[in-house]
Amino acid sequence: MTDALLYGLAGAALAGAGTYGLLTAAGALGRILGFNILGGGVFLIFGAVARRGAGAGLAADPVPQALVITGIVVAFCATALAVALLLRLDAARAAPDQDDGEKRGEAP
Amino acid sequence: MSALLVLALTVPLIGLVPLLLLGPRAGERAALLFLVLGSGVSIAVGVVVVRTGHALEYFIAGLAPPLGIGLRADGFSAAMMGMCAVVLPLTAFYAMRAPGAPAARMPGAFFMLLLALSSALNLAFTAQDLFTLYVALELLTFAAVPLVCLDGKPGQLSAALTYLLFALFGSVLYLLGAVLIYGLFGTLDLAHISAALAKAPPGWSFGAALALMSAGLMAKAALFPLHLWLPAAHSGAPPAASTVLSAVVIKAPLFLLVRLWADLAPEPMAQAAAPLLAACGAGAILFCGVVTLAQERLKLLIAYSTAAQIGYLCLMFPLVAGTVPYWSALAWTGGTLHLASHAFSKAAMFMAAGLLAEVIGHDRLSGLRGAARVAPLSIAAFGIGGLSLMGLPPAGGFVAKVMLLTAALHQGAWWIALVVLAGGLLAGAYVLRVVVLALQRPDGDLPPQRECGWRAGIALALACGAVALGFLPLAPLGFLSIGRPIAWEGLAP
Amino acid sequence: MNEALLPPPVPLVTAVAGAPEALLLFAVATPLLAALALLVPALRAHVPRLLVFAPLPALVAAVAVPRGLSVLVAPYPFRLTLALDGPGALLLGGAALLWIAAGAYACAYLRKDKARGAFAAWWALTMAGSFAVFLVADVASFYLAYALVSFAAFGLVTNDDTAAARRAGSLYLALTVLGEAFLIAAFVMLASGASEANPLIRDAVAALPASPWKTPILLLLLAGFTLKMGLFPLHVWMPLAHSVAPVPGSAALSGVVVKAGVIGLMRFLPEGIALPGWGEALTAAGLFTAFYGVAIGVTQTHPKRALAYSTVSQMGVVAAVIGAALAAGVPGAFPIAAVYAVNHMLLKGAMFLAAGLAMAAAPAQARRVALLAGLLGLSLAGLPFTGGALAKYAIKLVVPDGLAGMLLTLSAAGSALLMARYALLVAASGKDEQSPPAGLLLPTLALAALALAGPFVLFGTVTGLPLAAAVSADALAKGAWPIALGLGIAVLLAWRRWPLPEVPAGDILMAARPLLAGGQAVMGLAVATDAQLRRWPVAAVALMGVAAVLAAVAAAATLP
Repeated sequence: MTDALLYGLAGAALAGAGTYGLLTAAGALGRILGFNILGGGVFLIFGAVARRGAGAGLAADPVPQALVITGIVVAFCATALAVALLLRLDAARAAPDQDDGEKRGEAP
Repeated sequence: MSALLVLALTVPLIGLVPLLLLGPRAGERAALLFLVLGSGVSIAVGVVVVRTGHALEYFIAGLAPPLGIGLRADGFSAAMMGMCAVVLPLTAFYAMRAPGAPAARMPGAFFMLLLALSSALNLAFTAQDLFTLYVALELLTFAAVPLVCLDGKPGQLSAALTYLLFALFGSVLYLLGAVLIYGLFGTLDLAHISAALAKAPPGWSFGAALALMSAGLMAKAALFPLHLWLPAAHSGAPPAASTVLSAVVIKAPLFLLVRLWADLAPEPMAQAAAPLLAACGAGAILFCGVVTLAQERLKLLIAYSTAAQIGYLCLMFPLVAGTVPYWSALAWTGGTLHLASHAFSKAAMFMAAGLLAEVIGHDRLSGLRGAARVAPLSIAAFGIGGLSLMGLPPAGGFVAKVMLLTAALHQGAWWIALVVLAGGLLAGAYVLRVVVLALQRPDGDLPPQRECGWRAGIALALACGAVALGFLPLAPLGFLSIGRPIAWEGLAP
Repeated sequence: MNEALLPPPVPLVTAVAGAPEALLLFAVATPLLAALALLVPALRAHVPRLLVFAPLPALVAAVAVPRGLSVLVAPYPFRLTLALDGPGALLLGGAALLWIAAGAYACAYLRKDKARGAFAAWWALTMAGSFAVFLVADVASFYLAYALVSFAAFGLVTNDDTAAARRAGSLYLALTVLGEAFLIAAFVMLASGASEANPLIRDAVAALPASPWKTPILLLLLAGFTLKMGLFPLHVWMPLAHSVAPVPGSAALSGVVVKAGVIGLMRFLPEGIALPGWGEALTAAGLFTAFYGVAIGVTQTHPKRALAYSTVSQMGVVAAVIGAALAAGVPGAFPIAAVYAVNHMLLKGAMFLAAGLAMAAAPAQARRVALLAGLLGLSLAGLPFTGGALAKYAIKLVVPDGLAGMLLTLSAAGSALLMARYALLVAASGKDEQSPPAGLLLPTLALAALALAGPFVLFGTVTGLPLAAAVSADALAKGAWPIALGLGIAVLLAWRRWPLPEVPAGDILMAARPLLAGGQAVMGLAVATDAQLRRWPVAAVALMGVAAVLAAVAAAATLP
C-alpha cells in the first residue's frame, strides 16, 4: 500500500463521512461540521493526487500544497461566517420582539 | 490595455478603504464613485475586446500559466462584465438613503458588500484556472450571504444560513471536481486543459469531475431542483439586495456552467450531458413557473420567477452542442441575451417591488389593487420588465426567445421549443396578474404617500435597458464568439 | 467578424422620399404621439378630445397613397417596413372612419367618467396598433403591432372596472397571451424558410407551401388569428368583453380589433395558391361559427351581447370566404373578403353606437333609434339596395354555389333573424326622461350613413363588375329571400314572446370549469412538491443525485 493510496483512502473516507453528515444532520451546527469534514477529505485527496504526480510526473508537486493551504483558509472563513450567522440566529430567536412574521426560512 | 483586467478586480476593492475610513455618509458616496469607476473599467474592457477582436489577457506578475495566474476576458466574459457594470451602480444609486428614510441597521454594510461583489464577479468572469474560479465563487457567496440578512431578523438569518450551507456544499463538490482534474492533467488552467483534451480523448473520470463541478455550480445558481435557498433568501432580503442577488450573483455560476460544457468539455461528452442540463432547465421553467403562479407575496413571486427564468440558459446547452455552427452560435447568442435581459428586467422588478412595499407597507398581492395610482413609475417598470420575461416585442426577452426557438426548430429539438413557449405563457400569467391588479380600482383608501420618484426612475431605466436589448439583430452576435476557443494568445506554442 | 460587430450607422428614416411615404409613417405615429402626449400633465386634459383627429393621417393615407407603395422605415437590423396593399388600404380607411366617429362619440359618452384619461391612453395605443397591423410588411413588426393592438384593447374592455369587467378582462388577456404564443411559434417557423431573420411577410409566405413545417405553421396561424376573430370555440372572450366594455370601446373592439385577425389571415395565407384541405377546414369552421353565433345570439337579452354574437357569426362568414378562396386558390379573393370586413366594421361600429344611444335615451326615442338599428342590421344581413347587399353579392363571387354557397346564403337568414332581435332589444332599452346628448347622436348618424353607403363606393373597384350587376332582378331575388326568411322567423318568435331561454354569455365557458379545476390541482401539487424539494435533506440528496446522474451520463460518453 503506497502512501498516496493511504492518503487517498483516508480522504475518501473523510469525504464520505462528511457527506453523510451533511445529508443527515438535523441542525445547522451538524451541517457545518459535516462541511468541514468533507472539506478535509477533499484536501487530503488533493494531497494524494499531488503525491501520485499523475499529470506532471513530479516527485513532489508544490502547486497543490499552495492551493490546499488557500482552500483551508477559505473553508475556515466559511466556517467562521456560518458559525457567526448561527450565533446571531440563536440570539435573534431568543429575543421575541424581533420576530416580524416573515419566518419563511425552511424548517430543519 | 490588458492592465484593465486587474483594475476591474481592484478598483471596487480600493473603494472599501474610504468606506471604512470616512464613515457611512461620505463613505457611501465614495463607494458609489468607485463602483462607477469599476463599471467604467468593465465597459472599457468590452470596448477593447470589440475594437481588437481578440480576447484581453493579463498574466499576474508576468508569470504565465500553468504556474502563474492569468486573467482573460473574451467576448462572453466582457458581455457579462458589461451587464454587471450596468446593474451594480444603478442598484447602489437605488440603495442610497432617501432623504428622511430611517437609517439602516448597519450603515455602509450594503455598499461594502456591493463593492466586494463587484470585484468577485469580475474575477469569476475573467479567471482562467479552476482554483481561482473556486476562490471567486466563494468570495461571491461570502458577499452575497450577508446581503440576505442585512436587517438581522430571524427569518433572514435562517435563510442566509441555509443559503451559505448549501452553497458551501456546492463549492466542496466543485473543489473535488477540480482536484480530480488536477490529478488527470497536472494543471488547472482552462486553456492547458483544453489543449490536453485536444491531444487525447479524456477518460470517464474527467466526466465525473465535470459532473461534480457542475452540480456545485447548479447549487450555487439555485437551478431546479436545487433551488431550496432562493425563495427564502429573497423573501426577507432588502429589495436592493434581492436585486443584485437575482440579477447578477446567480449569473456567475451559470456563466461557469456554460464555460465548462460549451468551452471545455469535448463534443461527445457535451452532447451527452446537454439534454440532462436542459432537462433541469425545462424543469425550472415549467415547475417553478407553476409555483410562481401560486405565490401571494410579490417578492416571492419575483423570486420564483427568477428560479424559473434561469432555466432558459440551460435550454441552450443541447442547441449549442449541435453540429451546425450557425445554429449553435444563434442559440449561444439567444441564451446570453436572455441572461442579460433577465438581469435588467429582474433588477427593475425587484426595485419596483421594493418601492411598492414602501408605499403600501407590505408586499402581499392582495394589497396591490390600485397601486398604479400611487406608484405609476414602479408599475411601469414592473410591466416593462415583465414584457421581457413574457418574451413580447420589443423587449430583449423576445429576441432571445426567437433565437432559441429558431435554433431549436432547426435542430429538431421540438421539446425545447415547446418548453420555451410554455414558459412564455406562464410568465405572461404571473406578470399580467400583478399588472392587472395594480391597474384596477383600489378597494379602500390608498396610502397617502407616493413612490420615491427618482428611485422609480432607476427601475424604469433598467426596464428600458431590457427593452433596448430587443433592438439587437436576429443573428448570432459576433462579439460573443471573440476569443473562442479558449487559448492563451500570449503563450504561442 | 468585426464587420458584423459594428453595423453601419442607422438613420431612422431612410426611404421616406415624399409625402405618400411620410403619410404612411404619420398614420401610425400620430396616435402613438397622442399616447405619449398623455404623459405630459399640461396636455393631459386636452388629448382625449384631440384623439378624434388622430386617425386623420391614416384616412388620408388610405385614400391618397397609391397601392403597392412600401417604405422602409428603419433598415437593418430592424427592417421595419410599411406597405399599403389593397386589403390593407380598405381596412385602414374603414378603421380610420370608425376611430373618428367612435372617438367623437367617446368624448360625449365618457364625459363624466373619472378614468377617461386612462381610457384615452388605451384608446390611442389600440388605434396605433390597429393602423400598424394593417400597414406593416415585415414579420417581426407585424408581431409587435399585433401584440400592441391585442394588449391595448384590454384597457378598452376593463374601463368600467366592475367584477364582471375584471373577469372578462382576465379571460381576454389569457386568450391573448395564448394567441401570441401560437403566432410566435408560427412566425419563427415561417421565417426559417426565408433567407433573412426578419423577412418581409410576402417572402416568408412565398416559402410556406414548400416548408417542411407546413402543417404546424398553418395550424398555429389559423389558431392564433381565428382566436382574435372569435371563431368557435375561441370566441368565448367576445360576448363577455362586449357585455362590460363601454360603448365606444365595444365599437372599436368589434369593428377594428377583431379585424387584426382578418388581416393576419390575409397576410399570412398564400393568396392564389390552393391549399387543399386547409381551405375546406377553414370554410367549415367559419360556417359553423356563422350559425352558432346566430343560435346563441338570438337568445340574448342585451343588445350589446346580441351584437357580440353577431360579430362572432360575421367573422365566421369572413373566415368561410377566406377558406373558400384558399381551397380553390382563387386570386383576387382577399380584397373581396376585405370589403366584406370593412362593411362589417362600419356597420357594427354604427350598431354599437346606436345601442349606446338608445340606452341613453327615453323609451320613445329609443324606438326611433331602433328603426335606424334595424336598417343597419338588415344591411349587414344583405337587404337589397343597401351597402350590405353589395358586400354579400361580392363574397358570392368567391364562394362556389355548392353546399358552402347554400349555407352562406342561409347564414344571411340567420343574420336577419339576429339583427331583428337586436333591433327589438334596442327598442326596449330606453329609460325614462332622458335625452341623449348631441355628442352621441351625430357620430352615430354619420357612421351609419358611411356604413350604408361605403360598399357602393368600393364595389366597382374591388370586383371589377358594374354596380348594375348587383342590383339586377336575379341578384335582388337571391338577396331578398334569406332576409324574408329571417324576418319571418323573427316575427314568429316575437309573436310567441321570444320563447328562448337566455344562454349565459360565454356559452361554452362552463365546459372550461374542469380545466380550471385541473389547473388549480396542478398548482397545488406543484406547491406541495416544491415545499418538499426545499427541505434540506431532500435538496442535499438531490444535489448528490444530480452530480451522480450527470457523472454517469458524461462518463458513459467516453466509453467506446
